[in-house]
Amino acid sequence: MKIAICSNSQGIKSELAERFGRADYFVIYDLENQDVKTIENKAKNEPSGAGGSAVRSLSKEDVEIILVPELGPKAMDAIKAFEIKAYAYTKGATVENAIEEFKLGKLKELTSNTKEGHHGLRRA
Amino acid sequence: MNTKEIVVISGKGGTGKTSLMASLVPFFEDAVIADCDVDAPDLKILFEGENIEEKEFIGLKRAFINQDECSRCGLCKDHCKFKAINDELEVEMESCEGCGVCEYICPNNAIQMNDSVVGKVNVSNTKYGKLIHGRLIPGEETSGKLVAQVRKKAKEIAKNENLKYILIDGSPGIGCNVISSMTGVDKAIIVIEPTLSGLHDLEKIYNLTQKFDIPVSVVLNKSDLSVNGNKGIKDYCNNYDLNIDLEVPFNPNMVKAIVNKEIPSIYDPLFFDEIKFGRFIENLKNL
Amino acid sequence: MEIAVLSGKGGTGKTTLATNLAFVQKKCILIDTDVEEPNSHIFLKPKELNRKVITTEYPNVDKSKCVLCGDCGDFCRYNAILPAKNKVLVFKEMCHDCGGCKLVCKHDAIHYEKQEIGSMYFGETAYGFNIKYGDLKVGAVSGVKIIETLKSSLVKEDLIFIDSPPGTSCSTVAAVKDADYAVIVSEPTPFGVSDMKMVVEMLRNMNILFGVVINKAGLGDNEIYEYCEEENIRILGEIPFEKRFARAYANGEILSNVFDEYRNYMQNILNKISN
Repeated sequence: MKIAICSNSQGIKSELAERFGRADYFVIYDLENQDVKTIENKAKNEPSGAGGSAVRSLSKEDVEIILVPELGPKAMDAIKAFEIKAYAYTKGATVENAIEEFKLGKLKELTSNTKEGHHGLRRA
Repeated sequence: MNTKEIVVISGKGGTGKTSLMASLVPFFEDAVIADCDVDAPDLKILFEGENIEEKEFIGLKRAFINQDECSRCGLCKDHCKFKAINDELEVEMESCEGCGVCEYICPNNAIQMNDSVVGKVNVSNTKYGKLIHGRLIPGEETSGKLVAQVRKKAKEIAKNENLKYILIDGSPGIGCNVISSMTGVDKAIIVIEPTLSGLHDLEKIYNLTQKFDIPVSVVLNKSDLSVNGNKGIKDYCNNYDLNIDLEVPFNPNMVKAIVNKEIPSIYDPLFFDEIKFGRFIENLKNL
Repeated sequence: MEIAVLSGKGGTGKTTLATNLAFVQKKCILIDTDVEEPNSHIFLKPKELNRKVITTEYPNVDKSKCVLCGDCGDFCRYNAILPAKNKVLVFKEMCHDCGGCKLVCKHDAIHYEKQEIGSMYFGETAYGFNIKYGDLKVGAVSGVKIIETLKSSLVKEDLIFIDSPPGTSCSTVAAVKDADYAVIVSEPTPFGVSDMKMVVEMLRNMNILFGVVINKAGLGDNEIYEYCEEENIRILGEIPFEKRFARAYANGEILSNVFDEYRNYMQNILNKISN
């Protein structure tokens, strides 16, 4: 099963990103074989709707779980429509830390949006 | 470090938003200044500094018709819902919204969607801290994205330099520029004047802040301009449980300060003492 | 003839000038295109207003026909339509109403529905001429469609004053597009000059002839006069800052109705424009 984690750079030791839709990269980690792959988040440059677009791209990578700092209402709708689950990370500075926390069952699943919605752009 | 973001907005233009916002800055020691009024970025006039970074800002793509390949069938013009293609089958850049329908419908592959530079984001080093300002090329699409770039840069700098505050000069109006200036802020200061139009606009901008659940502080500028106007604003505020946290009577020195390219609170400190500006600042800091 | 009144900076006196010019001219129509913060009607006090709701369209997907091929999502540049695993999501507030998704759908699964973005009002002012203005719904993203609707079906033989939105964004472009002449209202302060330069750039790009009115003259310095001279920009008139004008404005009065001097300022500007 593949999980995606928002990050500021490539690889498992990179710093966790502060936002989902505008994150620079997603690190995709395979829980079965521990393979790591980083993809650039193309959605970050889009004028609007980055959250939904990012979810769609991750779905194309067969990601089933995402680890995020937050999710706005549109992204929340998107993950439900794509049958992807989201878990919130708060502790830990790196992607690796977040994965560990997830494996230990310490991360809370997000079932409703954590921030108010707005048009076009995420909170900077 | 939890950086606090404060935005100054006005609904209506010309209420003294930028003058007030600039006057706040010297009182916040660890702050980044963000000018999100990308249509009319004026803060740099009062906060001069060395430009240390400039980045082009690319907006939506725009359609480009290759006249050599064009068979003049006119399908593009027929399908353009923004009336951006004229009778000569040229794209009017100001109207093009970059949807891509013309590119799709063209039977000759004569149309391409190209990146267009629609503005830029600058960072400068000023006496009071770093100033991030964005400028939209005149005529370009109102850009929430450009505003977001400015805020993103400000947040980045605040994080890297451990700064406590981001002070944002917002845009006038209630459109996506403004929305993008205020989402996620800890406080929105609405600057209004006691005029009939001012009251009308207060209603709209206040509604917008409530849509996004943003805590608000009201500043009444040029407060002695009109007794009726003053009462109108106060009645509205009473009805909505809003406090007028600062009242600023009309003072020609405010304009003189701007004309001299000086920050009003530095130019006429006595006046700012009289209106209890210090207390207003303290309350802001206790967010 | 269509005359647009605009300014880079907000609060320089655009609406004051547009409403007063219309008042003095009499035989004309005023179109207030500042749909985010329309103010002219406050001064012109129209008696009965006709209201028209303005809508844009957004896609609605017919589940029985949709095969989730993803073409609509691939096409949409605004991420307003998102084909997912079990359904197609539509974020209607992001839709730019371009019509593209329906065009690319090979299964005829998309049709459009209307959503309200604001209203348009039309009526006779208390002073014998008509006003048309728009009002953007709070939270709606762009007023351009309302502005275009306000300007459609205008008779060019009439004298039309367009009170434009502040700034130089796409709303202002939509408001001044096709104008025969533009009057820039500015003030003699550094902000006024700085923002005026942006408007000048925009008007030059759009090939629209223009002149400038310096409002609140005396409350600033000479930089703006120097700039106009350097750039060969015609000054149509100067209106001094006077507290009595500011007060009357604050109370919603038409200054030309109250002060003869103000009426004269307007007449002079109108004369200069018709030359």
